[in-house]
Amino acid sequence: MITLQSVTKTYNAGRPNAVTALDGIDLSIEGRAVTVLKGPSGSGKSSLLSVVACMARPSTGRVSLDGEVVSGLPEHFQTELRRVRFGFIFQRFNLVRGLTVLENVMLPAAPLGKPFAELRARAMDRIEALGLGPRAQTRIERLSGGEAQRAAIARALINDPPILIADEPTANLDSALSETFLQIVAEEKARGRTVIMSSHDPRVWGADCVDRVVSMRDGRIEDAPVQQEPQP
Amino acid sequence: MTPFLRRQRALADFTLAALARRKGKNIALIAVYSVVVFVLASAMFFAASLRFETTTVLEGAPEITVQKITLGRQDLIEGSVADEIAAIRGLTEAHPRLWGYYYDRINGANYTVMVPDDPEMMPDPGQIAIGEGIPRARGLEWAGAPVFLSRYEGDLKKFDVARTFSRDSALMTSDLMLMNEADFRDFFDIPEGRYTDVVARVRNPNEVATIVQKGSNALPQMRFVTRADIARTYQKLFDWREGLLTALAFAGILAFVIFAAEKASGLSAEEAREIGILKAVGWNTRDVIAMKMWEGGLISLAAFLIGTVAGFAHVFFFGAPLFAPILKGWAVIYPDFPLSPHVDGLQLLTLALLTTLPYIAATVVPIWRTASADPDAVMR
Repeated sequence: MITLQSVTKTYNAGRPNAVTALDGIDLSIEGRAVTVLKGPSGSGKSSLLSVVACMARPSTGRVSLDGEVVSGLPEHFQTELRRVRFGFIFQRFNLVRGLTVLENVMLPAAPLGKPFAELRARAMDRIEALGLGPRAQTRIERLSGGEAQRAAIARALINDPPILIADEPTANLDSALSETFLQIVAEEKARGRTVIMSSHDPRVWGADCVDRVVSMRDGRIEDAPVQQEPQP
Repeated sequence: MTPFLRRQRALADFTLAALARRKGKNIALIAVYSVVVFVLASAMFFAASLRFETTTVLEGAPEITVQKITLGRQDLIEGSVADEIAAIRGLTEAHPRLWGYYYDRINGANYTVMVPDDPEMMPDPGQIAIGEGIPRARGLEWAGAPVFLSRYEGDLKKFDVARTFSRDSALMTSDLMLMNEADFRDFFDIPEGRYTDVVARVRNPNEVATIVQKGSNALPQMRFVTRADIARTYQKLFDWREGLLTALAFAGILAFVIFAAEKASGLSAEEAREIGILKAVGWNTRDVIAMKMWEGGLISLAAFLIGTVAGFAHVFFFGAPLFAPILKGWAVIYPDFPLSPHVDGLQLLTLALLTTLPYIAATVVPIWRTASADPDAVMR
């Protein structure tokens, strides 16, 4: 369970160009379910995901993970959480150019100090499970959009995190690839993972695997979220 | 392998991949960096070797030189003083010397002209023995060509060259001209029985200070100069000259450090984004800095090795053509001699610390500033 209490996030606080991206968010996100944040551009979806995933600190308010407040933790512990508890799929994938698929997927596990062969085997498992086996040694910039996204998913899952976060995951994909992605989400949910996504794509909100849709506008939760029954 | 080493290996792997990705930029960086190391290494190797050569050459010189001082200036000394000095207990021998400087109006050079102590080295009348720098400075085209010396307009005296000293002793003999005593007195108009100074050798080198004290008491109008004083003078001269070059090299290092800091602080959008990605996927600030330390370390090491080896070759294989005029020169005659390779560990350590630490610090500090921000802020 992830809980946000009175969370605000202001960029460039105290300056003339200050922007309030999150404005008093109160939200609880259930575990082992798929939650989608929907709303137009600039509504605060990405900022909310960043705050939840410990990639940005809220300006005020607090974020708790399984009852433990994580928003005020020192950087070292937040890094640990990002590494162990969260897998993040960025809108533009944010893969490191010049590295191969395998090297990119191994990145989150590199600082763990595990034997190289073990890391490599684990990364290859993820890559093959997502059908990218033949492209493992291909450089990222030579991948198609769908392949890059699968590489990003493999990277997000390398440390087997219980929470998978995806920011506008279908924004750069065509219909078929979007369907494939949602299928992967359904499989991950079935494995017991919590999935949180932001999207303004109706195909995502309406997907069978989605348990809950939260509407956002101008940095606020727009309406009382409708709780759907988690699917078995 | 321990988890720490495995972690370092993973970081080093990533670093190597990162370096390979920006091949052109890193090669250019290493090239500039290597030049800075090369200048500093050459200056250090060269000056250290010169000091070593000087010490070696001076080992054979007499322990004490006695000069007559009149009105605060060195004056010609009577030959009889040598007998008085020889009478001081502890000296094995004392004899007067004739030597001076000759200004060559043809090429503006100064030569050191001496009457040798060793009778075997004494040239015959009308002949001279010269250092290898003199025919070079004079542009004499063939060995044994006569040398014409002129003291004033209309004066011309011919000397045949009996021998030319080898390059091995060029640091001391490059501008040296040995002359017969009669020729010397005639050429420089020195009266019989007067000399430039007196040199003395001691039985026990540990007693030099005591003997100098005794001599100064007995002959208060004379100045006693020890071999250690001469060595110190050379040392200071080379220190000063090395200092000039080192200052230049430091200016280079400073410029390079500013360049490195500027470059690192103005991280490209791509580099900043990459740091943001690494942080977002679970690398902490320490991991990012460690990776950048590896990167800085590898670049520094490469530049240090290239610069040091190039400096070594420049000084010891090619005779330091770039710095010789500054470090070796007197007037317009620069000794041309091969230096014996003389490098010690402390020298290399100093060089490594002077060149690698500033670069690593200059690059890591700005990276630390970027890496300690939230990943979201870095990627934005």
